[in-house]
Amino acid sequence: MKPLDEATLIPSHMPTTNRPSNMGASVNDNASRLDAVPKVTGSAKYGKDYHLPNSLYIVFIRCPWGAADFVSADEAAAKATPGVVEMQVRGKSCTYHGQSIGYIAADSPRAAKRALRALAPKWKRTPVKTQISDTVKDNPDIGDDGQNNMNGAEVTHEAVYTTPVQTHSSLETHGGAVDHRGDRATVYASTQGTSSSRDGLGGPLGLGQGDFELVCEYVGGGFGSKLGGPGKELTTAAQLAAKYKRPAYMFCNRSEEHLDTGNRPSSRTLARIGFKKDGSPVGGEIRTWGGTGVAGGGGGASIPSGRYKLGEIKKLHDDVSFNGGGPRAFRAPGHPQAAFAEELMLDEVAAKLGMDPLALRMKLAGGEHRKMFEAGAKLIGWSNRKPNGSQNSALRTGYGAGAAGWGSAGPGGAAEVVIARDGSVESRTGTQDIGTGQRTGMGIVTADALGIPLKYVSVKIGRSTLPPGPGSGGSVTTPTTAPTMTAVAKAAKTQLLELLATQANAKPDEFSIKDGVVLRNGEKYLTWEEACGKLPNDGITANKGKGERGDGHSNGVQFVKLDVDTETGVIHLRHVVAIQSCGRVICRKTAESQIIGGVIQGLSFALFENKLLDRNTGAMVNDNFESYKILGPGDMPHIEPVLWSKGQSGFKALGEPPTIPTAGATACALFNAIGRPVRDLPLTPDKVLAALAAGQGGAA
Amino acid sequence: MNPFAYVQPRTFDEAAAALAEKRFSLPMLKAGGMDVVDHLKEGLIQPDALVNIKRLRSQPDGAPIAEAGGKVRIEATATMAEIAASDVVKRLAPVLGLSVGTAASPQVRNIGTAAGNLLQRPRCWYYRHEQFDCLKKGGSTCYSIEGENKFHAIFGGGPCHIVHPSNLAPALMVCNGVVHIVGSDRKSLPIAQLFHGPDQGIRSEHVLKPGEVITHITCDAAPRSGFYAIKEKQSFDWPLVAASVSLELDGAKIRSARVCAGAVAPIPWDLPKVEEALKGVSVDDDAALRRACDVAGDGAKPMTDNAYKVRLLPVAVRRATLIAAGRKTEVDA
Ligand SMILES: Cc1cc2nc3c(=O)[nH]c(=O)nc-3n(C[C@H](O)[C@H](O)[C@H](O)COP(=O)(O)OP(=O)(O)OC[C@H]3O[C@@H](n4cnc5c(N)ncnc54)[C@H](O)[C@@H]3O)c2cc1C
Ligand code: SF4
Repeated sequence: MKPLDEATLIPSHMPTTNRPSNMGASVNDNASRLDAVPKVTGSAKYGKDYHLPNSLYIVFIRCPWGAADFVSADEAAAKATPGVVEMQVRGKSCTYHGQSIGYIAADSPRAAKRALRALAPKWKRTPVKTQISDTVKDNPDIGDDGQNNMNGAEVTHEAVYTTPVQTHSSLETHGGAVDHRGDRATVYASTQGTSSSRDGLGGPLGLGQGDFELVCEYVGGGFGSKLGGPGKELTTAAQLAAKYKRPAYMFCNRSEEHLDTGNRPSSRTLARIGFKKDGSPVGGEIRTWGGTGVAGGGGGASIPSGRYKLGEIKKLHDDVSFNGGGPRAFRAPGHPQAAFAEELMLDEVAAKLGMDPLALRMKLAGGEHRKMFEAGAKLIGWSNRKPNGSQNSALRTGYGAGAAGWGSAGPGGAAEVVIARDGSVESRTGTQDIGTGQRTGMGIVTADALGIPLKYVSVKIGRSTLPPGPGSGGSVTTPTTAPTMTAVAKAAKTQLLELLATQANAKPDEFSIKDGVVLRNGEKYLTWEEACGKLPNDGITANKGKGERGDGHSNGVQFVKLDVDTETGVIHLRHVVAIQSCGRVICRKTAESQIIGGVIQGLSFALFENKLLDRNTGAMVNDNFESYKILGPGDMPHIEPVLWSKGQSGFKALGEPPTIPTAGATACALFNAIGRPVRDLPLTPDKVLAALAAGQGGAA
Repeated sequence: MNPFAYVQPRTFDEAAAALAEKRFSLPMLKAGGMDVVDHLKEGLIQPDALVNIKRLRSQPDGAPIAEAGGKVRIEATATMAEIAASDVVKRLAPVLGLSVGTAASPQVRNIGTAAGNLLQRPRCWYYRHEQFDCLKKGGSTCYSIEGENKFHAIFGGGPCHIVHPSNLAPALMVCNGVVHIVGSDRKSLPIAQLFHGPDQGIRSEHVLKPGEVITHITCDAAPRSGFYAIKEKQSFDWPLVAASVSLELDGAKIRSARVCAGAVAPIPWDLPKVEEALKGVSVDDDAALRRACDVAGDGAKPMTDNAYKVRLLPVAVRRATLIAAGRKTEVDA
C-alpha cells in the first residue's frame, strides 16, 4: 500500500470519475457494483416491488394534526366500501401529525384508500408545541463549573446554534410485503437488520423461525431509520397475512414516511467558551437541547466532539418534547448537528482571535486530523481564502473546514463460502446492502482471499436463512463482516489446497492461488476451473474462521468552497474536498460513493432540509419532496472524495463519518464569505440576507 | 380517488362540447395533467369526468409554436420544454422561453403545457393539504396569516395570500399576451384580464367560465425581453420572486419598459412605478438602474416571515432588465 503523500495528491480540477485509482490503496480499484445492472435496469426487486397475487393492502388511519382528540368516524361507510376486509379504529387523543389510530385492510390499494376517505375521521384540535424554542426561550445562566472553567480566558465566545428536524427521506419507504401460505411464509422487507427483523416476526406470523424466511435483497436507503425490529408497518402486514392466510402489503407513502418513520432530532446548542489570545483553549460550558418530538429521549448532540481540545468543558443536555414524530438513529446520530455548532463556533472564535480558522484547528486537533487538514487545504486552495468579510463584490467566495471521527467495530458475524466443482464460488452472509455496496464488498474480499477474479464469485446476502450477520448501524457492517468473510474464504482456500496436495501426494504449502491460477512451487499448475474440477461432488463449504482486526480507523476532514450571491442570499456550492480514512479500502468506487453520498446529505442538511410543522396546528406542511427540499442536481458542487490510506490495514467504518463535518464546514464557508455567522440551519437566502443586513447595521 | 369518466375529444370544439354535456356534473379539462393529477391524489377535487386535451392542436398539423404576422402563436398544449426550445420564441419573445425553461424539472417541462401552466392552482401548502379547510376551499380562515407564510404574497394579499404560481403568466403580461377561447361567446381575452385577485373571489384565480377552453395563445414580439427568478434550490424549485421585463431601447437607453413580477402576489403583479422609473435610464448606468429598480418593493405588505422578498424583488427586476438588454448580470462573471 502506497501512502498518500504530497507528490501523489490528486489535482482538484479533475472530475471524480476521471481520477486515477487511489494509489493502489484499495483491494479492488475498478470493480463496479455487482448489482449495478439490475438496479439500473429495474430488475432488482425491492421489498416495495412485491405486489403478490391476492394480496391484502393495508393503510394506516392517521391523525392529520399535531395534537387532536378523536371525535368520530363513519366506520359503517368505511366498512361498506367494496373490497374492505378488515378495519380497526382505536379512537384516542393524538400528539403528532401522522400518529396512527388503526388501519384498514382491503383487496386493493384503491379500495383501502376509498375506505379511508369514507371513514372521514373527525378531530378536535388541541394546542401544540412545534419546536424546541416553544419550551426553551431564554438562555439559562452559566453554572459555577462552567464559570470556573472559563477562569483565565482572554477571549470569550457565547452563542446559540440551532438545527431543524431532518427526515431520513429514504427513497424506498418503510414497510413490507408478506406471503403467508398457512404453514410457511416469505417476508419481503425493507430493513437494515435482516436478523433483527426476523426475530420480531415469529409472533405476528404465528410461525416458528424455521418456517419463514425474510428476504431483503435490495434496500432503497434507510440511513438508520430501518434498524431494529420489523416496525409497525411490517408487523401489521404479518399479523393480517397470518390471520387471513393470504399475502399482505403495507408500505408508507411519501407523506407518511416524512411524518412517522423517525428523523434526526432538532438541536439547540448554547456554547460559552474561553480561549487564550494565542488560541490555547481554556474551557467553559456547553448546553445542548435535543428536539425529540413526542419521544422522551434520543436527542443527544455530540459536542464537544473530542476532535478538538477545548479545555475543560461542562456539558449539560436536556431533551425537549413537542408535537412531532420521534427520532430514530440517523447516519451519525447526534453528530452533524453538533459539528455544525462546534465548527462554526471555532470559526467565530478564530475571528475574535484574529487567527486563520485552519491555524486554530491545527492547534486544537490531533495529529492525523492535522495532516489531513494540511492535505485538504492544498486540494481546496485554502491559500486563496480571503479574510472574513473582506470582500465587497456581489458574489463572495468563502472557504470552510471541519473534521470527523468514528470508532470501529471488531470482526464478527457469520459467513459461509462454497466452492463448486465448476469453479463458481458463493459468498454467503445474512447482512443487507442498504445501498452502501455491501454485496460488492463481500464479493471482493472473497475473491481476494481466494486469489481469483471477482467474476467467479456470486454473493448471497439479504436472507434470514443465511449465516447471520450484523444490522447495518453504527457503520459496523463492513468492519464486522469483511474480516470474517476473508477468514472463511481463506479457510475454504486452505481446504482446496490441502485436497490438491493430497491428490498430488505433495505438501499443501507447495500450492498457492494467484489471479485465478493455482501455482505449485510458484509455477502454473492448474487453472482455477481445473482445480475445482478435482473437488468431490459437493465441492467445499467453509464457515469457520476468525477475522483479524487490523490497524486503522476512521478519521476525516472536509473543506467546502462556495460563492454567496449577496444580493439574493443564494449560496452556490462550488467544491468540496472530503478526505476520509476507513482502514483498508475494499472497493474504491463504492467507498468514494459513500463519501460523496455523505457529503451530499450533509450539504442538503446545511442548505435546505427542514421538517416544518405549522406553528398553530402542528401539521407538517412540507410532507413531500417539493417543499421538503433536498439538494438537487443544480446545487451540486464538484465533490472530491480522497481515500486516506496512511497506516491503514483493517477494515473500518465508512458509512457515517463523511456526513458529520459537511454542514459545519458549509456554515464556516458562509461566515468567511459574508463576515457574519448564520447560526441557524438551513442556510436559506432569507437568513443570509438578514445576516448581511445585521452586518451593515454595524452590530457586533 | 373516485371513479370518473375519461373523455378523449378530437378537437377543442369537441372538448368544449364534452364539458357542456348534461350527464357530467363536474367535468374537468386535463392537459399535461401535472396539476390535475396532484389534486386528484390529494383529494382536493372530485371530478366526474376528465376531458383530455393533451394532444389537441387548434390548427391541424400545426407546430406547437409559430410566427404569425410578426406575433408569436403558441398552442395551448405546447409543452414548457417546446416553448423553451423554440427558435421563434428565442427570436421574438425570449422572456417566454426563459420563464419556463428553468422552471421545475425537465420531467415537468416535458409534460406541463402552456395553458395548464397559466391555470394551475396555487401552491399554498394549506391549500394543498386536505385537512386545512381554508378560505380558498370554502372554509373560514386563512391559515397562512398566523402560520407558515415564508413563500406567500407581499402584494395584493387578503383575504387569501397565495402567490400566483405560473412563471409563464408574468412573461406573457410583458408581451401583451392574449388567450384564445372556444366554448363561449367571447373568442379571446387579454392575459391582463385572465386573472383576478382574492378580492374578486377566493375560490378561483382566473375568470374563465366552466366550459371555456383555451385553444392557443398569441403575443406581441418582444425581442428585448428577459426573465430572472431567485430560487432557494437551483433545480426543481419554485421562485421566491421572479421578474419578467420587456424593453424598448435607444442604444443603451430605456425608452419604455414593461415589468411584471411573479411569486409575489395572487396574480401576476405589474410594477408600473418601476416601468416609469426605468424610462430614460441607461442599462449600463448601474447606479441609475439600481435606483429605478429599487422602487419595485414600494407598497409591499409583507407578512410575518416573508419580508425578505421585498429585498429580493428589485434584484430580480434589475437582473431581468439586464438580461432583456443583452447584458451580463453581476453574478455571471
Ligand atoms: C416540483 C414542481 C415544481 C414546479 N415549478 C414550477 C415553476 O417554477 N414555475 C411554474 O410556472 N410551474 C411550476 N410547476 C408547475 C407546472 O409547471 C404545472 O403543474 C404545469 O405547467 C401544469 O400544466 P399541465 O398541462 O400539466 O396542466 P394540467 O394539470 O393538465 O391542468 C392545470 C389546470 O389547467 C386547466 N387547463 C389545462 N389546459 C387548459 C385549457 N387549454 N383550457 C382551459 N383550462 C385548461 C385544467 O383544467 C387544470 O385546472 C412545478 C411543478 C412541480 C411539480
Ligand atoms: S393563502 Fe389562500 S390558499 Fe393559503 S391558507 Fe390562506 S386562504 Fe387558503
